[in-house]
Amino acid sequence: MGTIKNLAEGITALLKGLATTLKILSRKPVTEQYPEYRRPLPARSRAVIVLTRDPDGEERCVACYLCSAVCPVSCISMQSAEREDGRRYPRWFRINFARCIYCGLCEEACPTLAIQLTPNFETSGRDILKLVYEKEDLLVNHGGKNNEYNFYKRAGVAMVGDKGTQINEDKPVDLKSNLP
Amino acid sequence: MLLEWILGFVFLIVKLTIVLIILLTVAAYLVWVERKLLGRIQARYGPNRAGEFGLLQPLADLVKLITKEDTVPQEANKGIFLLAPGVVGLMALLIFAVVPFGSGVTLWGRSIPLVITDLNVGLLFILALSSISVYGIALGGWASNSKYSLLGGIRGAAQMISYEVPMGLSLVPVVMLARSFSLVEITNAQSARPFIFVQPVSFILFLIAALAEIKRIPFDLPEAENELGAGYHTEYSGMRFGLFFLGEYITMIILGSLIAVFFLGGWHGPLLPPIIWFLLKVGIIVFTLIWFRATFPRIRYDQLMNTGWKVLIPIALLNIVVTGALVLGTS
Amino acid sequence: MPKLKIDGLEIEVERGTKVIEAAARLGIIIPRFCFHPGLGPVGACRVCAVKFEEGPVKGVQMSCMTDAQDGMVVSTTDEEAADFRKHVIEWLMMNHPHDCPVCDEGGHCLLQDLTVAGGHGIRRYLGKKRTYNDQYLGVFVQHEMNRCIQCWRCRRFYQEFAGYRDLGALQIAHHTYFGRATDGQLESPFSGNIIDICPTGVYTDKPSRFTGRRWDFERGPSLCIHCSLGCHIITSARYREMTRLEARFSESVNGYFICDRGRYGFYYTNHPERPRRARIRTEEVSLDQAIQTAAQKIIQINQKNGPKAIACLGSARSCVENQAMLIRFCRVQGWNEPTYFETPTMAKKVKRAVARLDEQLAVSMREIEKADFILAVGADPVNEAPMLALAMRQAFRNEATIVVIDPRPVFLPFEFEHLPVAPDDLEPCLTALIKGAVHRSAAEKMGEEALRFYDTAPAEYPDAPIKNRMVKITQKLRQSRYPVIICGTSIVRETTPDVAADSALLLRAARGRAGLFYLMSEANTFGAALLSSEEGSVMDVVESIEKGSVKGLMLVESDPFRSFPDYERLKQAVDKLDLFLVMDYLPSFAARLAHLFFPTQTLFEMETSFVNQEGRVQFATSAYRGGIPISQISAGGHPLRVFRRDIPGGESQPAWQILAKLANIISLPGREMFSLSKNELWSWIAKEYPIFANVPIADELPDDVRVHLAQGREKLFPSGGQIRSGGLSRENSTLELVMGDWTFGTEELSTYSKYLQQVEKEPCLFMSPKDASMLGLKDRERITLPLDKGRLEMELRIVDTMAPGVIVMPKHRQLAWQKIEKWPVKVAMGQIRK
Repeated sequence: MGTIKNLAEGITALLKGLATTLKILSRKPVTEQYPEYRRPLPARSRAVIVLTRDPDGEERCVACYLCSAVCPVSCISMQSAEREDGRRYPRWFRINFARCIYCGLCEEACPTLAIQLTPNFETSGRDILKLVYEKEDLLVNHGGKNNEYNFYKRAGVAMVGDKGTQINEDKPVDLKSNLP
Repeated sequence: MLLEWILGFVFLIVKLTIVLIILLTVAAYLVWVERKLLGRIQARYGPNRAGEFGLLQPLADLVKLITKEDTVPQEANKGIFLLAPGVVGLMALLIFAVVPFGSGVTLWGRSIPLVITDLNVGLLFILALSSISVYGIALGGWASNSKYSLLGGIRGAAQMISYEVPMGLSLVPVVMLARSFSLVEITNAQSARPFIFVQPVSFILFLIAALAEIKRIPFDLPEAENELGAGYHTEYSGMRFGLFFLGEYITMIILGSLIAVFFLGGWHGPLLPPIIWFLLKVGIIVFTLIWFRATFPRIRYDQLMNTGWKVLIPIALLNIVVTGALVLGTS
Repeated sequence: MPKLKIDGLEIEVERGTKVIEAAARLGIIIPRFCFHPGLGPVGACRVCAVKFEEGPVKGVQMSCMTDAQDGMVVSTTDEEAADFRKHVIEWLMMNHPHDCPVCDEGGHCLLQDLTVAGGHGIRRYLGKKRTYNDQYLGVFVQHEMNRCIQCWRCRRFYQEFAGYRDLGALQIAHHTYFGRATDGQLESPFSGNIIDICPTGVYTDKPSRFTGRRWDFERGPSLCIHCSLGCHIITSARYREMTRLEARFSESVNGYFICDRGRYGFYYTNHPERPRRARIRTEEVSLDQAIQTAAQKIIQINQKNGPKAIACLGSARSCVENQAMLIRFCRVQGWNEPTYFETPTMAKKVKRAVARLDEQLAVSMREIEKADFILAVGADPVNEAPMLALAMRQAFRNEATIVVIDPRPVFLPFEFEHLPVAPDDLEPCLTALIKGAVHRSAAEKMGEEALRFYDTAPAEYPDAPIKNRMVKITQKLRQSRYPVIICGTSIVRETTPDVAADSALLLRAARGRAGLFYLMSEANTFGAALLSSEEGSVMDVVESIEKGSVKGLMLVESDPFRSFPDYERLKQAVDKLDLFLVMDYLPSFAARLAHLFFPTQTLFEMETSFVNQEGRVQFATSAYRGGIPISQISAGGHPLRVFRRDIPGGESQPAWQILAKLANIISLPGREMFSLSKNELWSWIAKEYPIFANVPIADELPDDVRVHLAQGREKLFPSGGQIRSGGLSRENSTLELVMGDWTFGTEELSTYSKYLQQVEKEPCLFMSPKDASMLGLKDRERITLPLDKGRLEMELRIVDTMAPGVIVMPKHRQLAWQKIEKWPVKVAMGQIRK
């Protein structure tokens, strides 16, 4: 008796399955036809990385090496250097997109909002070296997701203004004064 | 007399060429059809980039397969490795020699049967060739000298041996009813009533056993991708892989044809021309096979063996006894 | 010995040990900012708070200010203490700027670590931050005062530990400022240490500013080879470029600190002109090709002129491996032994010094710190071996008396007695002191030779002012319990090292304990003296070339053009050579003249060993694999986008390996073949020089292995107790020229450092006021100094802290002083003119 019941159940299950697949056969495919239709991606989707600029137009990147340190695939490399006015900047900055996994950790690590991921993902090509981006390929002329932030306004080092002139700072201590 | 013979030979060659071209084309497009159907069943489009609706996809695949490097593993048994895909492809094509796909036409006063050759032991010929084609798989798997291929080959051989028996046995009642091994005779015996109505058990047994024979899902254990890479053809590339592939799809058509011939009354049918009826029936069977593929998961090896030996063979034997008794009783 | 319990673990420590140190011995590192084991406690930062649960002290207390006492039960993980520490960090962060991304300390910042460890992530204080203006502190140190957490480490090191006054604390309380009165280069040659000890980024390394983070560097333990002390350092290399050196703690050598010469002297490794390819004349070839050509040339000369026709010069800056392989090479080829010293005098001085050290007499710098009387003879520590001055200062802080007998105007960062006497008078002055302080009975106990030494010593120094000052010094020496004699080997006479050793032996007999500490000219002078058997010198080699008996010259990491007194003569000799083969890593003058040049590896690229001036065998690992720095290849831009398997410019090999390859080609069949394995070389060294037999060739770096020739020797006075009678009767018509070292500008390797070049002082001639007034010369006048082969122009400095009858001049990089025929140089008085 049990066998027959099992058999019946089994056959029903098979038929149900067949019915399901048949039903879907009549449905309209959900696939988006990519090159013809480009789906508008959310601003925070993660693809090609750019280096943004401060509101005053300077490079935001101070080459602190945090992104290269946090990068799980070590695809970021750079050399920090000092500009004549003492500002820290990357002398060269290289991202190997052939290695990048677009995890976005670099963007999270970046203290100056310089490195940001953009929704642009169309980078494939036939020459792998074209996927190695240098600083001039990465630099853009805007602030990316935040156009207001200026690291040096908060850092407390004399760069965009003298000591004591920036956000939340007192005037420098006068070494010649006896006042408390 | 000589002229007659030469003319017959020419007709035969022309017929062979036409059948071969159609068969290969249909097999190639069957790939497209399968991918398209599978896509739709999964709410996708399937191939739609090469040509309109992806119709040039088979051509693109062909170009790709031919231009790909033909690699032979270093430790492979080279001769057998190169031979194996040929065996599979050839056997699949040979089986079609005895399949009747129409009642016959008359051209310039000559009656041309729509079958390559009407062997009087056609059914035995089919069983024999299907047994040989397992050599292609077993040898290909062994000659690759790869563990995945070997396991695939062994599974293939075991599966073939196990399911050949119920397949053969399920056809015995058909022969008993048609009183002939010739496929043309069997078709003609169903002119009034297809055997599917007389022998539903046989039909189901044959369908299952034949599915296992051609290694289609849910019986694709020899090439189980997630366990064995690609089974017996893991090490094959280029057109040699293409031959395995071709063999598989030709076998699908053959299976459709055989079911049409054995159970659905072949080309017989009302209103429409016989060839259309035949193609229709083949088409329905092929669609079912694809549908199965889209629906069923692969069964386990022990389930496969149990089903074959403990379920199908006893039922088939019982079916023979019952049919035999009925045939004896009614005659 | 108090016994206490910290976090459930028991430990027994010496009386006076602080709880924070006791915990460190258990492996429990209590957070600290102001406490530094080299500087001691001050209790300024309050972050080392722990909970004292049982014992004489109770409650939350500073572990750096509390002496370990019996019965203490301390918990470092107690909730109250942890909460206290957490709040301390939050207070310290109140005024700390958020500039970690542009701060060079980021990545190895103690404040960063503890902020994270304390869990302080969000700023709660909304008030304004205190700011400071920064100062220019010179070439080495970058100042960013906003980051300061007022731990006082810098001032405590700079003023108390090192003894310089120009950097200190200004203002009070909330406004405390660490810096100088005005902007300017820091005066101390130890200024780099404030970078190491600053727990945050107030002082950062300027030359390596922004070159990388700690985690990006290839770091490894290494040695400083800019003087003979062999201080321990940590190297940092990145992108095939040595970027930074830091002090590595060494119990017996340098402690926690190093000097600026060591810290910033390494730039010769990255020198843009450093030769990196083998050369035949001016044509660059592969190393193998150059070796083949060299082998052919050598075989030709050997066949034509015999095996003695090729001379080899090694150097005292080469490692033990290079020196030993060169000797082995010459022996197997049947050549003359290689020469390591410029003059026979130098060779003799060093060999005598090396022969006199034994395990009891030789002292390390740590032991010098414990001495209560230090007598430096012919030594100018700040200029010759700066870290020794720091060790002497620690002895001074422990109330030791320090006496320097030296003709030069010696400066030391503490109070000391300077007896300026001419080189000839060093020995009489020293022995007179010893004789005054040691009773004859002590000498009697030691045997006949000691007695002869005692008796030959002058009873008193004839020069009256100095004699008067010596009275007090003698008294101090008589009372001392642990006197140490420091003896230089550069300006002293041949016999002085022996006299110093004899004096030390006498002092030991009288006081029970005494130390002897030699200063040598270069990093591996000791090794060269141990290994070389002949007392040959460059002078002899030059003579042989002039005679025509030597046709080929091979220099292994040696640049005689720098050190040989007569430049023109050497140049002419070299021009006569059939084969002039140079192996080096410096863009030296010799390298430019070489017929065949082989690039060798620096200390930072190979695994090496050096023997420091007290006979300590020390090991260094390679910091990186060599090659041209990426910044030089790409001229500052991004690295080239080409794939290659080899390291660009990475052809250099250790000199000893080049020698081995060369030997294997020119060796006749049947002769010994050299292996390229360092272990094999060391087993050869151990076999040939049994003194090295106990040196472990291990992967770890032992620093407590000393080799001493005098060990177990029965005859204590090899010189027989002879003292050369002093040249006190001096004719007044000539002045002796003494050439000494300066901290920056005279040591060979560090002169290639572009940063040290910026702080070098312009060379000048020192003269005593007495001589100057006789000549009618005034301070800071430009004068011409006539030498044997030409004249020198420089500024005159009149200092009263130097011996009359002597003029002092540095062997300065900027000074073409190599116009001297022979040492010692006497200059006729009247010839020094404006």
